[in-house]
Amino acid sequence: MNENLFASFAAPSMMGLPIVVLIVMFPSVLFPTPSRLINNRLISIQQWLIQLTSKQMLAIHNQKGQTWALMLMSLILFISSTNLLGLLPHSFTPTTQLSMNLGMAIPLWAGTVITGFRYKTKASLAHFLPQGTPLPLIPMLVVIETISLLIQPMALAVRLTANITAGHLLIHLIGGATLALINISATTAFITFIILILLTILEFAVALIQAYVFTLLVSLYLHDNT
Amino acid sequence: MASYIIKNIPFEDSKMASSIPVKEKKLMEVKVGELPGWILMRDFTPKGIAGAFQRGYYRYYNKYINVKEGGVAGISMVLVAYVLFNYCHSYKELTHERLHKYH
Repeated sequence: MNENLFASFAAPSMMGLPIVVLIVMFPSVLFPTPSRLINNRLISIQQWLIQLTSKQMLAIHNQKGQTWALMLMSLILFISSTNLLGLLPHSFTPTTQLSMNLGMAIPLWAGTVITGFRYKTKASLAHFLPQGTPLPLIPMLVVIETISLLIQPMALAVRLTANITAGHLLIHLIGGATLALINISATTAFITFIILILLTILEFAVALIQAYVFTLLVSLYLHDNT
Repeated sequence: MASYIIKNIPFEDSKMASSIPVKEKKLMEVKVGELPGWILMRDFTPKGIAGAFQRGYYRYYNKYINVKEGGVAGISMVLVAYVLFNYCHSYKELTHERLHKYH
């Protein structure tokens, strides 16, 4: 059972060809391009959702920060769609791979930091020291702030990976437990099934929330630095 | 052009069938004996395969999604096909999870 538990997290490849590329590109099929003023229902719903999200997310930024609108919206769209598709049975979720999340987190975080250092050097360096610290504490605090800055991309990537992977693993385990308990005691199996249903609802929420949190934090880092 | 002219002359269908070149017929009009020849004459270049995918995509899109009153069926068929594709791909690992004494 141990090997089976983690087999669903291995990158899928058919005859040596990595079809993980196909699976990463699959969500784009579900978002058609709008070509008219009034589109079909699928596109209208997606447009409405994107407008709702983008207005809220970009409200806190100034002119310079709002040039990142496309990046942030495509980020939240990609993460939420891949997470939600991963909840379908037997499917592979690319966001469970740490490599991919690092690939998303590090360039975005580095972009915000470098933007801050380029355009507002003094203000960016001033972030390393909170206001009103007593004089003897300054060296230690600078070190602590530097570490907390450098850990931001790692935290972004590991947070997303761990949450989604843990959720999928729990669903696998509890589903297996329910099946195993059916022959032993029907009521316990029923209770476990209820737990499974609640967990699935939680996973839907987590899928969306994680996308939101990722994007929100990137936008927060951006706000600090523009 | 020739096939257009030939089709509009009021003849019986069985007499007309052999006058149209095999390559231009649609699949439903090809006779069973001509099938290998028809398959071999299809365009298997990368451009041809891309064209086939594009035609298939737009055929599905315009029939089920790009309509005035599209429902949930259009997108849920795609999701079910995705689930089935992943199931077929992980079938080998799933055979270990059956309830058998010997695997």
